[in-house]
Amino acid sequence: MTEKISLTVNGKLQTIEVEPEMTLLDVIRDVFNLTGTKRGCDNSTCGTCVVVVNGKAVKSCNYPISKAQGATILTVEGISQGMTLHPIQSAIAESGAVQCGFCTPGIVMELYGLLEEKPEASEQEMTNALNKHLCRCNGYEPIMNGARVAQELIKERNKASE
Amino acid sequence: MAYKYVGKSYIRPDAISKVTGKATYLDDFRIPGMLHAAILRPTIAHAKIVSIDTHEAESMPGVVKVVTGQGCKIHYGDNIRDLTPMAVDKVRYIGEPVAAVVADTVQHARAAMEKIKVEYEPLPIYTDARQALAKDAMLIHEENGSYWYLPTLNPVPGTNIANLYHLKKGRGEEGFDEAEVIIEGEFNYPLGSCSALEPHGSIVWFKEDNTIEVWSSSICPTIIRDDLAHAYGLPISDVRVRIPDIGGCFGYKSDITVEQTIAYIASFVPGYPVKWVATRQEDYTSTLIAHGIRVQMKIGARKDGKLVAMKSTILHTGGAYADTAVNITVAATHNSTGPYEFPHCDSTGYTVYTNTPAVGAYRGYGHQESQIATERMMDMLARKLNMNAFELRRINYLCEGKTNALGEMMWKSNGNVAACAENTIQHVFSSPKKVEDDQYYYGRGFAAVMKSPKGAPFSTKGCYIKMNIDGSVNINMGGAEVGQGLRTIVRQIAAEALKIAPEKVRVYSELDTQFSPYEWQTIGSMFTMQGGRAIVRAADKLIKILKATASQVLKTDEDFLEYDGDFIFLRNDPGIRVAVGDLARGYITSDGITIGELAHAVSDARLPRYSNPDKNGQGSMGVTYTFGAQAVEIRIEKKSGKILVDNVVSTFDVGQVINPLQIRGSVLGGVTMALGAALYEELLFDAEGRITNPQFFQYHIPTLKEAPKQIIDFIETPDPIGPFGARGIGEHSVIGIAPAIMNAVYDAIGVELFEIPVTPEVIKKALAAKAEVK
Ligand code: FES
Ligand code: FES
Repeated sequence: MTEKISLTVNGKLQTIEVEPEMTLLDVIRDVFNLTGTKRGCDNSTCGTCVVVVNGKAVKSCNYPISKAQGATILTVEGISQGMTLHPIQSAIAESGAVQCGFCTPGIVMELYGLLEEKPEASEQEMTNALNKHLCRCNGYEPIMNGARVAQELIKERNKASE
Repeated sequence: MAYKYVGKSYIRPDAISKVTGKATYLDDFRIPGMLHAAILRPTIAHAKIVSIDTHEAESMPGVVKVVTGQGCKIHYGDNIRDLTPMAVDKVRYIGEPVAAVVADTVQHARAAMEKIKVEYEPLPIYTDARQALAKDAMLIHEENGSYWYLPTLNPVPGTNIANLYHLKKGRGEEGFDEAEVIIEGEFNYPLGSCSALEPHGSIVWFKEDNTIEVWSSSICPTIIRDDLAHAYGLPISDVRVRIPDIGGCFGYKSDITVEQTIAYIASFVPGYPVKWVATRQEDYTSTLIAHGIRVQMKIGARKDGKLVAMKSTILHTGGAYADTAVNITVAATHNSTGPYEFPHCDSTGYTVYTNTPAVGAYRGYGHQESQIATERMMDMLARKLNMNAFELRRINYLCEGKTNALGEMMWKSNGNVAACAENTIQHVFSSPKKVEDDQYYYGRGFAAVMKSPKGAPFSTKGCYIKMNIDGSVNINMGGAEVGQGLRTIVRQIAAEALKIAPEKVRVYSELDTQFSPYEWQTIGSMFTMQGGRAIVRAADKLIKILKATASQVLKTDEDFLEYDGDFIFLRNDPGIRVAVGDLARGYITSDGITIGELAHAVSDARLPRYSNPDKNGQGSMGVTYTFGAQAVEIRIEKKSGKILVDNVVSTFDVGQVINPLQIRGSVLGGVTMALGAALYEELLFDAEGRITNPQFFQYHIPTLKEAPKQIIDFIETPDPIGPFGARGIGEHSVIGIAPAIMNAVYDAIGVELFEIPVTPEVIKKALAAKAEVK
């Protein structure tokens, strides 16, 4: 039995017919071929699959597709504008936080969910958000550095557009 | 020395594709007609296969083929051909492939796999080397000794010993007669996992034109290519292996492992690419695992602290197939001296077959496992001698004029461990230790470290450079980017060697045996040194070609010409010159007649004079060394027994820093990884040989809140082998952390520890035992 689901993915309204037991991650990767969202574990521990659903960062591997009916989804492919990177992307690219890069899209989207909603987020809130992500490569310091720079860039951007 | 591009931080060439989600990893490949495999694993770790019933599975939706190992004749391996792509009549570990389903989707393949019925007849299960070495132990491989193996190996038929390596330096064990003080200890580094974030996986495609195409999340395309060609009787040139972006390796994606299994499965559905990606559980149970090394160590010294003799025995729980473990045992054995000179050494390494997944490379390759013993014993020996532990180490460090266990003479250019130690000590021990309070005990611990690569006679690294008509270059190498930052390093070294801006150097992004030059595999922290030297050599050749063409254009001798990155010009009159871009395709004269060679060059570099071991187990098997010193400051929470690591200091003599941002990142990550091994990580087995914690939520790796503050410094004693004086650093940062933490625990609560992980339960037990003695 398939189910009809309508959802907005990276700004585009889509209607799909899928098996209801599929997760949002399955749909993002295998139906929409948006492979920037990664699968690092079997049971919502690693954070590589994080996307933004209705403004909030969620683990898509643990998100039944039926719950996404009418939702607005943003993946890592949807936050840059052409050649212009989102401030979080440029900050993370330059801070040394990218080594193998497998954890990176999830971390970028986690920060997006936090900082676009709450640019004034405290250090503690950033730490709590990032603590949901595993990275085996860089010891986390460069990720935190990148997050701080990203926060400043977002604040500046918001100020400029006021 | 100051260089123009070397020694500066540049953003990685692959950073943008990784932050935008466009980097392509194995599971991101979608090939038209691609099928998916699911692999059945046994329910007990050691058993005869009595029967396999695939009927029901075959009729499940989407199923194209069900495959078993019955009748499979393939044996493979790079060191010992003891592996089979699928269990034939016996399973030897819990993650072994028993059968597989090929279907149109992963979901269909997995659903059908559940329907395969296998009957087993259980055999005794050994998950530790000591059990498998027992006199009456059953043989895990009756064939031990009769498989093909490299001539340097020494399997012991009729036992579970897959390889026995012995090293003797000086008078060996007899040397202990010169000792005035002797101490002994037994240490254990349990089985663990690299736990990269990207699970291992492969795609294999047997094509109708009788070629094989492979994609794998692996660092050794040439080994995969050669091994598959051998197994399927094809010319090596007809197997093409490509390596996409890799989501972390740390060792376990080296050597040939899962690729032969996927190839075997794919060979039943020729014409279709077959993809398999490990689940997180399979990444723990069915790819290479790590460590499993027990070290028995005896050290003899004079009363003044001068070290005299070492005896070490390495018992390596090597796993069900020893192809990948044997060299780790050897490295653990001859590097068990740590950064110290012992005039007499007697070291023996046993690689033992066990019913655990095969042990393979893990960042550090045998060094941290045996140096945990050395660095703990240096502290223990100092106490016995009533001597300062830093002073004891200082008078015994390997340095200019000393000889290591392998018989290799150390030169000044091998680096300065004493200077690393001094710097690290300064950071951690120059102020008084914090005193115990209501909540915490405080402790500080130190460890000096040494690491050599693990080479091989055929371990050269190739480089191919081609110059374009605008003077920019494309560069191809055989080295795999696993996140360590190899592409950045290649770019900077090539820029320096060719005197052009890094922006004019485009580094390959995908390895492809059809186009990439040869490389054995990207292991052993060797890429910067060997690959870098290959770049410098290729650049020299390229410049020579440019000069040869320019000498015709400028009508003079080649050796009268200079090169500055933009032009070839006359030494005495730089105004007489020709732009390098004009020489790239040969030089086109005004009438169209073209002279000279295409500006491209190929070169390679190996560890100079690397050799096999001699009859004493000695030889030029290290060639290059990186020394360092690490220290930690810890707190032990009294209530919980939990260790909190507040500060970690690392100093390494890397010869020359190529990229400061990147090298710091490498050490930050290595230290954090080692902290996981020291405090949390251990693969646990039950009586059936099943791994009881094969998930991230059970096998805990450090998170952001657990990552310590780090101070990282470098000393630069240039190395004559490496490019611009640089030497390897990729693995070294993991080596000293566990012993430093254990030494800090002694400093805090006076308890001697002999194994990791040091969990809160271990500390609580130790404290209770101590209270009882009082
Ligand atoms: S894939 Fe690991 S948390 Fe979703
Ligand atoms: S960069 Fe490799 S896991 Fe984070």
